[in-house]
Amino acid sequence: MNVLLAVILILAAISALGVVFSSKTIYSALSLVLTVALLAAVFLVLNAQFLFVVQLIVYAGAVMVLFVFIIALLDPAAEDRPRIFDLRLILGVLAVAGLCTAVFIAARNDVTYDTSCTTQAVTCMHGYTVGSLAATGDLSADPFHTFGFPENAVDRAGNVQTLANQIFHTYVLPFEITSLLLLVAAVGAVYLTRRVAVEPRRDPQAEERWRDDLVEGSD
Amino acid sequence: MLSQSMFPWILLTAAFLFTLGALGVLIRRNPLVVFMCIELMLNAVNLALVGYSSYLNSEEGQVFAFMVIVVAAAEVVVGLGLLTRVFSIGRELDVDDLDEMKQ
Repeated sequence: MNVLLAVILILAAISALGVVFSSKTIYSALSLVLTVALLAAVFLVLNAQFLFVVQLIVYAGAVMVLFVFIIALLDPAAEDRPRIFDLRLILGVLAVAGLCTAVFIAARNDVTYDTSCTTQAVTCMHGYTVGSLAATGDLSADPFHTFGFPENAVDRAGNVQTLANQIFHTYVLPFEITSLLLLVAAVGAVYLTRRVAVEPRRDPQAEERWRDDLVEGSD
Repeated sequence: MLSQSMFPWILLTAAFLFTLGALGVLIRRNPLVVFMCIELMLNAVNLALVGYSSYLNSEEGQVFAFMVIVVAAAEVVVGLGLLTRVFSIGRELDVDDLDEMKQ
């Protein structure tokens, strides 16, 4: 499983390079499809089955089809390749290398997480409250976490069930706000893409000059 | 289940994808590609969230990743609507030229 995960991660990184450094827009879009699909595979390996399906349907399905449609509609000209010795590019590469090195060193030195947590039978993320509740088996004392998410919660209930429990109990307000966001986005997209007659740009100074020319010409 | 030794590599890949997306936003001039790079950054954040979710045995990271996916979809819809609008009024698709909001 580790080898599989490593291969998928390397392929995702390579195809992400293709997104940024392709000269044609359609190649960038296809590279992004590959990256998104590979990340969906990573989600599956990471035991996030629901997000795997959502990622494939929403990203690889809806969003990327939208991208490809817009590319076919607008037909953007092939951009010249990014300037290699541009100062911005050099700074960007340095930023990539620096951040990657920093994160990797921090992760190897156990800075970003507490490895002692995983040896216990309870989860660390909810802190000691839920953890101690799960340890004593008294999960009903916590009204917001029906499952309490001990280590085998997913095995007992399933990924979709535990996620639904979180979304519809703990995070129900963000979830509803999300629906509002989608509504606003849909209305905005319809408003933006409506068909209007394009008026020529009005330039008051040019009109004034034109009027002056007219007056001078009549003399 | 994921062995703990792979977790730093997942974080490393997420950081790499995020900074690569930021690099693309900085150096590319086609707004479509800029949008794709933003998608790449959001996907990198999702990868980190799901990795932490798996590592910490908590489902909350997956909930946040779900929200991020929804926001990304909404952002793409509005952004591509804006791009078609820009194209329909006859402007060239170049982020260096598109530096004003008025027509």
